[in-house]
Amino acid sequence: MRKALAALLLVSLFVFPFFSEMFVLLFATEILIFSIFALSFNLLFGCTGLLSFGHAAFFGIGGYTAVLLAYHTHMGFIPILLLSAVAAFFSACIIGFFCVRRDEIYFAMLTLGFGMMVFTVVHQWRSLTGGSDGLSGFSLPELSLLFAKVSISPPKTFYFLTLFFFLATLLFLKRLLDSPFGLIIRSIRENPERSAFIGVNVSFYRWVSFVIAGTLAGVAGVLFVFYDRMASPSMVHWTMSARPVLMSILGGARSFLGPVIGAVVFYILEYIVTQFTENWMIFLGCILVPIVIFFPDGILGSLEKWIAKRRGRK
Amino acid sequence: MSEITLINFLNGLCYGMLLFIISVGLTVIFGVMGVLNFAHGSFYMVGAYLALTIIEKTHNFWLALVLAPTLVGFLGAITEVLFLRLLYERDVSFQLLLTFGLLLILDDGVKLVWGAGYHSVDAPKLLAGTVNIFGTSYPVYSLFVAAAGPVVALVLWLFFTKSTYGKTIRAAAMDREMADALGVNVKAVYTAVFFLGSFLAGMAGVLAAPLRAIGPSMGDKIIIAAFIVVVVGGLGSFPGAFLGAVILGLVEAFGVQFAPKIQMALPYMLLAVILLVRPRGLLGREG
Amino acid sequence: MRKVVSVLMALLFMSTIAFAGKDTIKIGSIYIFSGFAATYGQFAKQGILLAVDEINKSGGILGKKLEVYFEDSHAKPDKALRAIRKLVFEKKVDFLVGFDSSGVAKSVVSYIKELKIPTIITHAATPDVTGKQCNKYVFRISVNINQNVMAAAKIAAKTKAVRWTTIGPDYAFGHQSWEYFQKYLKQLNPKAQFMKTVAFPKVGTEDYTPYITSIMAANPDGVFISLWSGDLINFVKQARKMGFFDKGYTILMSLGAATEVLYALKDQMPTGIWVGTRYWFLANNSPVNKHFVEAYKKKYGVYPSYNAQNAYAAVYALKYAIEKAQSTDKEKVIKALEGLAFEAPAGKIYIRPEDHQAILNVTWGKTAYDPHYPIRILKPMVIFKGDEVTPPVSATGCKME
Repeated sequence: MRKALAALLLVSLFVFPFFSEMFVLLFATEILIFSIFALSFNLLFGCTGLLSFGHAAFFGIGGYTAVLLAYHTHMGFIPILLLSAVAAFFSACIIGFFCVRRDEIYFAMLTLGFGMMVFTVVHQWRSLTGGSDGLSGFSLPELSLLFAKVSISPPKTFYFLTLFFFLATLLFLKRLLDSPFGLIIRSIRENPERSAFIGVNVSFYRWVSFVIAGTLAGVAGVLFVFYDRMASPSMVHWTMSARPVLMSILGGARSFLGPVIGAVVFYILEYIVTQFTENWMIFLGCILVPIVIFFPDGILGSLEKWIAKRRGRK
Repeated sequence: MSEITLINFLNGLCYGMLLFIISVGLTVIFGVMGVLNFAHGSFYMVGAYLALTIIEKTHNFWLALVLAPTLVGFLGAITEVLFLRLLYERDVSFQLLLTFGLLLILDDGVKLVWGAGYHSVDAPKLLAGTVNIFGTSYPVYSLFVAAAGPVVALVLWLFFTKSTYGKTIRAAAMDREMADALGVNVKAVYTAVFFLGSFLAGMAGVLAAPLRAIGPSMGDKIIIAAFIVVVVGGLGSFPGAFLGAVILGLVEAFGVQFAPKIQMALPYMLLAVILLVRPRGLLGREG
Repeated sequence: MRKVVSVLMALLFMSTIAFAGKDTIKIGSIYIFSGFAATYGQFAKQGILLAVDEINKSGGILGKKLEVYFEDSHAKPDKALRAIRKLVFEKKVDFLVGFDSSGVAKSVVSYIKELKIPTIITHAATPDVTGKQCNKYVFRISVNINQNVMAAAKIAAKTKAVRWTTIGPDYAFGHQSWEYFQKYLKQLNPKAQFMKTVAFPKVGTEDYTPYITSIMAANPDGVFISLWSGDLINFVKQARKMGFFDKGYTILMSLGAATEVLYALKDQMPTGIWVGTRYWFLANNSPVNKHFVEAYKKKYGVYPSYNAQNAYAAVYALKYAIEKAQSTDKEKVIKALEGLAFEAPAGKIYIRPEDHQAILNVTWGKTAYDPHYPIRILKPMVIFKGDEVTPPVSATGCKME
């Protein structure tokens, strides 16, 4: 049943672009990009138990690196993506090194602080980053596939490119969480003191988790700037960091696909609500508050629990 | 002292004291309840907007200075009773997220009531105009705000050390169960503390109204500054909030003069350095 | 035979009518509707709606009614891009009108080229969008930085001020305004000096005191101010308190004569300082302007701002271009817009075909009190002819494909 549903979903992800309106296609691409971003965040939050309010730093560092490379070099898409991921990786190494020493509130504040530090650098370094205007007007890099060079500007091509990275992220995270590493970080989430007691180097594992999450966010950032045709400082602002937080909570931070469901629901809700009011944030807040209080497992988590309960009854 | 240094110093003090009044509310709530209130900046914003309405209706700044913080205090108390109370047993992340939800509601809510544009109010007649300090003219109102900080600090210090209520709150902060066993109504204490913290945020909002522009994003900006103040000073530390606020206020004021290029990054650099050298903040205690 | 041909021709003609039979022309309009410049968006929207009302009441364009969709750019490039995607792909608009911020305009023009949507910029003033970033689809109907600042430099050159500094918003507009001001003033007055101490506060800054302090400490002769909208309003209020206007500086505010700002400040706006604008409702007595000011005042109760006029004029520019082309076909409308000359409330507007920049008169003036008006007005008023203040195409860096 579950497998059939998953297969159906997968097939429709591949087929629907051939029938859909352009608007829906662009919409879906954006959702996939933010799903990757939210999934990367949730490796920290849902799996390692660290609430970051500065995850957009890596989203932005990945994105800005990609745009700068597209601006000043003639590299193809893949090398740009790799180099940008490396940039996100190194910055996550440095920032993570300081942040993982503390947890809970302190971790949230530290990530917020470092995230905003990256924001101010982006905002103030006009000669490099374009300051508050951001960087735009670059030509999109080409994608080399075996012998052919493909333009990534047609929305359909870009959708499939994004879909590829989305599925790769899912597969990678699934593997990671099933590995011993995944078990260790989850034990840290449940009880850091006990984990330390049995000999786990808590801050080291947190650090690794932080770096993986940051690198993945960088990849999402690269996709986002090429989708949007620009890198802007709002990519790095703390309000951008809040997005994956909201998506994960909405969908369910303890469920593997929670952040994805959260991203989908977030975008669809935003779309519906903004049809009749500009005040979408108030609406979002009104959903967030009861979810935090009554459904801390989010949409997917609560659904899973409900199904498990019903099965149990039978 | 040159003229510019003096003015910058006064600017820094004025902003610093404003920050202190906000941050001390934040730190009191954290110190007693262990909750970091993301919506604290939004309470400050609501205070400023309420002041706007009260001053427009009555032309009385002093009435606004009493009434608006009280209303914000009640808003805080209601928040505590209706929402936060349900979450004390849970992970602190959820408290942070809940208050983040409140931030979203309040930030957008003020747009519904007061519109999306910017507003401003005039300083009260008594404090309008400038005064001559060593040959430099300086707005009286800014001096008033700079003086309000120490007054608030003194009143709070007296309250917490001399009055029974203040001592009760400190007892509840130190050991919740013990206080409970001794017959302290901890629930009521928590609500009262949230009232007090929100009251202070609202008061800072009223004080800020004639100084700064009133707009829907003013809470978002100030909450980050307040976070930095309380972390630099030491979370939950009362004198820490004072010290942190003065430092941040001066950094902001002199930054524009001496390091305009990196001025925006200075508070975050300060934050990072403090956390590296003294992770618990300048005057914070561990644990 | 001839009969057959004529019947066929008639059929063909009818079928093209049926084909183009969509009976509305859709315009997507993007302005700032929230934050520091929310009133700017409101005035622009009013200007557009007034024009659309007038046109639709008199039978539309080529018999088609106009339909407008508004979106908020929040003065942020990324939000503006989303708005464009929504308007183009979901609402399926034919033309875009608007854009307040230069930062936004710079960021969207290449995407507009990719989408092939004819666009009229009505406010954003960065020289780049009709200069080095110019493209076939982007037009500007309003005064740009070049024109406004060239006029400013001419005024500044006649004053006694030698040492100049600036206060401007920290994005493309503020930085480029200062860059061009220095360039032009240096040409006109080689003795002019430009100070190291300058202030570029972030857009939406709530507290200008530190910036005002640092400028006052530098003790300049002249201050060129490119803050605008809510930022300018806050700045003026806070600067008054600091005694900024009592120091005898020569002050030029490049967008000080926006009625949004003048209404918000009323008598708090100091008198006797130079202010610029992209349109001034008392600058000309043409019937078109008289009609516009009266209709606007009657409908909305206030005097129109430059943003209202520019938006209003842009809708009319589209009307004239579509009528000239006798078609709503995008490529044909673009051809018709190139070299279009028409009478707007602001006076005669000519759209230069080589770079798509409008050439029109530029107004500056000194703020003054007048008992007949609720706001400061301009006395004396200085009007520069468009040709005097517009650099030649060769100097803009525009290479149209």
